[in-house]
Amino acid sequence: MDYLVNPVILYSLVALSGVGVWLTLPRKGFNPQILGGLIAGIAVGGIMLALGLAAGDHAPNLFFYVFAAVALGAGLRMITHPRPVYAALFFILTILASAGMYLLLSAEFMAFALIIVYAGAILITYLFVIMLATQGQTEDEEQAQAEEYDKVAREPGSAVLIGFVLLAMFSTMLGRGMESLPTPDPARVDAVLGMMPLKIERDMKRDGLIEADEKVAGAAGVHMETRTVDVTSPRGGREGVAMPADLHASNVQSVGFVLLGQHPGAIEIAGVILLMAMLGAVVLARKKVEIEDQAKLDAARLMREGGSL
Amino acid sequence: MMQTLAQAAYPQAMHDVTLYHYLFVSAGMFVLGLIGFLTRRNMIVMFLCTEMMFQASGLALIAFSRFYLHHTGQAFVIFVLTVAAAEAAMALALVVLLYRKHSSLDGLLFAELRG
Amino acid sequence: MLLQTTDIINSMATLAQNDHAGNVVEHATQAVDHAAAGNMKLALLIPALPILGTILMLLCAIFRIKSKLPAFITVACLGGAFVVTVVTWLGMGEHGAQLVFGFDWINFSWADASSEQSFVANFGLYIDRLTLLWMLFVTGLGTLIALYASEYMADDVGTGYCRFFAAFNLFVFAMTCLVMADNLILLYLGWEGVGLCSYLLIGYFYKKPSAVAAAKKAFIVNRIGDLGLALGIMLIFVQFGTVEYAELFPKVEPLVEAFRAGHMDQIPFTVQLIPVLLMIGAFGKSAQLPLYVWLPDAMEGPTPVSALIHAATMVTAGVFLIARMFPVFLVSEWALPVVAWVGTLTALFSATIGMAQFDIKRIMAYSTVSQLGYMFAGLGVMTSTGAAFHVFTHAFFKATLFLCCGAVMHGFAGQLDLRKISGLWNMRGWRIVTIAMLVGSLNLAGFPFTAGFFSKDMIIAESFVTPGYSAIGWILLITAGMTAYYTFRVFFRVFVGPVHFEPGEEYEGDAEGHGDEGDGHGFHPHAPGWAVNTVLGVLAISSLLAVGTYFINTDQHGWVGSMVHDSSAYMSPLYESHGVVEHDASGHVEASSDVRAGGTFFGLNPHGGVLYYVSAAFGLIGIVIAWWLHYAGRTEAATSRADNLALTKGMLARGARGKWFIDEIYDAVIRKPLWVFANVLYWLDQLLIDGLVNLFGWVPRAMGSLIRPTQNGQLHGYAAGMAGGLVVLMVVVWLMSL
Repeated sequence: MDYLVNPVILYSLVALSGVGVWLTLPRKGFNPQILGGLIAGIAVGGIMLALGLAAGDHAPNLFFYVFAAVALGAGLRMITHPRPVYAALFFILTILASAGMYLLLSAEFMAFALIIVYAGAILITYLFVIMLATQGQTEDEEQAQAEEYDKVAREPGSAVLIGFVLLAMFSTMLGRGMESLPTPDPARVDAVLGMMPLKIERDMKRDGLIEADEKVAGAAGVHMETRTVDVTSPRGGREGVAMPADLHASNVQSVGFVLLGQHPGAIEIAGVILLMAMLGAVVLARKKVEIEDQAKLDAARLMREGGSL
Repeated sequence: MMQTLAQAAYPQAMHDVTLYHYLFVSAGMFVLGLIGFLTRRNMIVMFLCTEMMFQASGLALIAFSRFYLHHTGQAFVIFVLTVAAAEAAMALALVVLLYRKHSSLDGLLFAELRG
Repeated sequence: MLLQTTDIINSMATLAQNDHAGNVVEHATQAVDHAAAGNMKLALLIPALPILGTILMLLCAIFRIKSKLPAFITVACLGGAFVVTVVTWLGMGEHGAQLVFGFDWINFSWADASSEQSFVANFGLYIDRLTLLWMLFVTGLGTLIALYASEYMADDVGTGYCRFFAAFNLFVFAMTCLVMADNLILLYLGWEGVGLCSYLLIGYFYKKPSAVAAAKKAFIVNRIGDLGLALGIMLIFVQFGTVEYAELFPKVEPLVEAFRAGHMDQIPFTVQLIPVLLMIGAFGKSAQLPLYVWLPDAMEGPTPVSALIHAATMVTAGVFLIARMFPVFLVSEWALPVVAWVGTLTALFSATIGMAQFDIKRIMAYSTVSQLGYMFAGLGVMTSTGAAFHVFTHAFFKATLFLCCGAVMHGFAGQLDLRKISGLWNMRGWRIVTIAMLVGSLNLAGFPFTAGFFSKDMIIAESFVTPGYSAIGWILLITAGMTAYYTFRVFFRVFVGPVHFEPGEEYEGDAEGHGDEGDGHGFHPHAPGWAVNTVLGVLAISSLLAVGTYFINTDQHGWVGSMVHDSSAYMSPLYESHGVVEHDASGHVEASSDVRAGGTFFGLNPHGGVLYYVSAAFGLIGIVIAWWLHYAGRTEAATSRADNLALTKGMLARGARGKWFIDEIYDAVIRKPLWVFANVLYWLDQLLIDGLVNLFGWVPRAMGSLIRPTQNGQLHGYAAGMAGGLVVLMVVVWLMSL
C-alpha cells in the first residue's frame, strides 16, 4: 500500500486544502474565510472520498466520516476564530468528535475519560483563564473589538506551507509499509479473561451453561486457548465446558489490567507530575499581597496572645 | 446503533486501510494545531492548539491500539492526558503571570529570551 | 655559615700567599681574624637603622604627623648608623676583609652531569677598609644633610616631609647595601635601590612637569647603565660560577697573574668582556660620557638631595664598583684605558659647559660630572688611591657647595641665576654661607694646600707617571684651570661685589611692600637658620680638615690610601708589571731605577712635587681670570667684563651655553628614530597582529549575526524552526526513499 490514492491527486488535494486553510486564516482587509473554509472542506472531502473509494470494503463506517468532518472543521474554526472563547468552544467540539472516533475504535473508557477530563476539566480551566484575562471589558466592547492580535494571523503563508508539506509527508509516510504489518490474533483481546474466573462463572450461570451450584475452578480452570473452563461442583466437576461466544472482556477491564498490571510505576510518576504541576501553578499564579508593617505587627501580636484575626 | 458505534466488528482485526483513515485524520488535526500555533498570537489559543496536537497524537495511539488489539495504546493515552493536564495548569499559570505583567495576551510581547 | 665563609677565606689566604711568595705586598683581602668576626655583627646595624627610619617615616605618614619629627628621627637613625660605622672602623684594627652574615637570601644549588653547582647570594656584608671609607662619608654626610634638610624642607611639613625623609632613609639603606654587599646580587639590589630613590627624590615636586621629566630621564638613562651591570653580573656568574666577592677574587687571581705574565691567550674573551659591561653600569650611575645627561637635569630635585645623592654619594657608586671589581678590570687590555679616556673627556667636556651656564646649581652639577671624570681618570690610570681620595674630598666640598647654593636658592625664593644676585657677603646673616662657599670653591678650584688640591694632584701626577697617558695628564691640568675659573665665577658674582638681588620664580609678591631696602622691590631674602648654618659650618671645617688625612699614614698616600690599600681596589703587584714606580713614604722617589719605566713630566718625576706647583699655577690662573672678568671693577650685578669679550659671543660660547646640544642630538639620533620605529611597530601590531586576532573574533561574530535574527525571543519563531526542521527531515527521508 504505497499509495492508496494516486499521489498526484493526493498532493493536489492536500495543496488545495492548504490554500483553503490559508484563505481561512484571519487577516486584515479582504477576508474570504467562508470561501477558504469551503475550499478546504471540498479538498479534504475529496481526499476522504478518494480514500473511501480506494478502501472499498475496508472503508470505515459512516460515523467515521461524520466525526472526522466535525473534528477537522471545528479544528479549522478553532484556529481561525478571532475570539478565544469561541476557539475554546470549538475545541470542545473537536474533542467530542475525537471521543466519537475513540468509540468507533472500541475505546469506550478513553472516550468518556476524554470528555470528562478534557472537555469537562481542562477546557473549563481554559475558559476561566480566558474570562479572567478579558474581564475588564464589557459585553459591548468585547463585541465591538476583539484584540488586534486575535484578528490578524501571523505569517499565515509560511505556517500553512510548513503545515501542509508536513501533512503531505505524513500522508505518504503513514501508509508506507503497512501491508507488511503482522495481523494480530483477535484472541489476544480476551486473554485478560483468563484472570477473571468469577466473571466467566457469572456470565455462564446467566446463560445457563452451568448449574447454580457449580463454580469455575479458579484462574487455573480457565483455558483461553480452547475457550473452555473446568468447573467444580458438590456432585463432582466437569472439564471443558465451552464459554459463550459473545463473552468478552470489557474495555475498562482490559485497560485497567494493562494500566495497573503493566505500568504501575508510570502511574505513580504521572501522579507526581500532576502534583508538581498543581504546586507550580499555585506558586506561579500567586499574587503578592502587600501588607503594611503595622498590620504584620498586629497580626503577630494577635497570634502571640492566642487570639485570632 | 450503540452496538454499531461501540463494538463494530470487535474483536476482529482492523484492516490497515481503515487504520490509514484514522491516521490521516489524526495528521490533519496535528497539522491544524501546528498551523494554529504558528499563526495565532493569543497565548491561550496557542496553548489550545498544543492541546489539539495532543488530541491528534491521542487519536493515533487509540487507532494503533485498535489495529493491534492491544490496550497499552489506550493506557498510553491516559499519560498523554496527564501531561496535557499538567501542561495546561502550568501554562495557564504562566499566562496569568504574563498577563499581569503586560495586561495583554499577545505572544509577541514576550520576547525576553531574544539572543 | 660564618664558619664556612671564614674557612673559605682562610684557604684563600694560604692560596694567595703561596702565589705571591716573595712579594712585598701584603694582601689585605685574605686576612681574617676569627675573634674580630663576632664584633663585626654590629655592622648589620648600619643597613638596619636606615630601613628602620624608612618604616618610621611611613608610620609618620600614616599618622599624619605635621611637625619636624620625621627629620629628627632621620637624623637620629643616620647618626646612629654613622656612629656604628665609626665603631666598626675602630674595631677593624689591623684586620683585613671580614664577612658578616645577615640572613639567607638566595640560595640555590643543583647538580648537572659534570658537577654540582650553586647560586648563593645571602644578605651578608663584606667589610674591608674600602667599604668603611665609603660608609663613613655616606652615613656622615647623610646625617648632616638630613639635618640641613629638616630646615630646608620646612615648607612642606606634613605628608610631603615624610615622603622626602622616607626616600632619604631608603636611599641610605640602598647605598649601604650597595657598598657593604658581600655579593654582586646584593650590590645590584642596592644599585637599583639608589636609582629608585634618586628617581623618587628628583621627582619630589611631582606637580612640576620639568621635575617629572628629569626624574624619568634619570631613571631611563640609568636603566641603560643598569642593563650593562646586570649583564656583567650574569657573565661573571657564568664565567666564575659565583657572585660572592670572597669566592670571586681568588678565582680572578690566576687570570691576573696570566695577564701580568703576558699570556693574553689564557684569558677568555668573555672575561675581557666583563669589565666593559660593568663599566657601562658605572658610566650610567656616575654620569660619564655618554650617559651623563641625566645628572644636570636631576637638579630639579630638592637641593639636599642634589647634595647628598647627586654630588656626594650615589654618583660615586660607579667609582666604587670599579674600585671593588678592580681585579676584574685588570685582566682586560683595554678596559682601564677606556675608563681613563672616558673620564678625562667627560671632565673636559662638562667643564666647558659649566663655564658658560648661569644657573649656579647647574654649574655645580656640571662640575660634579667633571670631577667624577677625574675619579674615573684616576681609576683608569690605576691610582685607585687617588680616585678614592678624590671621592672622599669631593664628597665634602661638593656637598658644601651644593648646600650653599641651596641656602641661596631657599633664601631668594628659588633664584639661581648668577646675574641676578650679588654681594651676599654684605648682607646680614649670609656670612657663614659665604665663608663655607669660599672654602668649597677653594677646594674645588684646587687652591694650594686644600684637600681638593692634593686629591686632584694625585690623579694628575699618576697620569703623567703611567706611560702613554700623559695626554690625559695635560687635559686634566687644563680642566683644572677651567674648574677654577667657573667655580670662582660663581663666587665672585654671587657672594661678593655690590649688593643686589631679585627674587626667583617662587616669590609671590609681598603685600607689606618694603621698597626702601636694596634692589629687592620689597622682597626680603631670609637668611639661613641655625640648622643650615651648623651643617655648613661643620662641612666647611670638614672640607678644610680633610686635607689633614693626606698627612696621616703617608707611606700609603694618606689615610684614604691606607683605607684603599687593604682592599680589592689595590693591586700592588700589577704596578710593577705596568712599570709603575713604587713610591716611598714622602712621595719622593729614589731616582733612576724606579723612574726608568715610568713616565716623566719634562724629565722630572711627576710625584716629585713638581706637579704641585704646576697644578697650583693652573688653578690660580683660573681664579685670577675669574677675578678679573667677574669681580674687578664690577659695579652692577648683571654685567661684568666677561660680557664684553668677543669669546662670549662666539660660536664656542653659544655651544657651551647650549650644553653642546647633546640633549638635542640624543633626541634626534636616538629618541626620534626609536619613536618612529615604535610607531611603525605599533601600526604593524594594530593592523597585522590585531587585525589577525580580530579576524578570528570577527568570523564567529559575523556568523552569529547571520543566525542571530532567528533568535528573536518569540515563541512562534522557535516553533516554526522546530516544525520546519521536522518538515525538512521528513522531506529528506522521503526523497531518499524514492
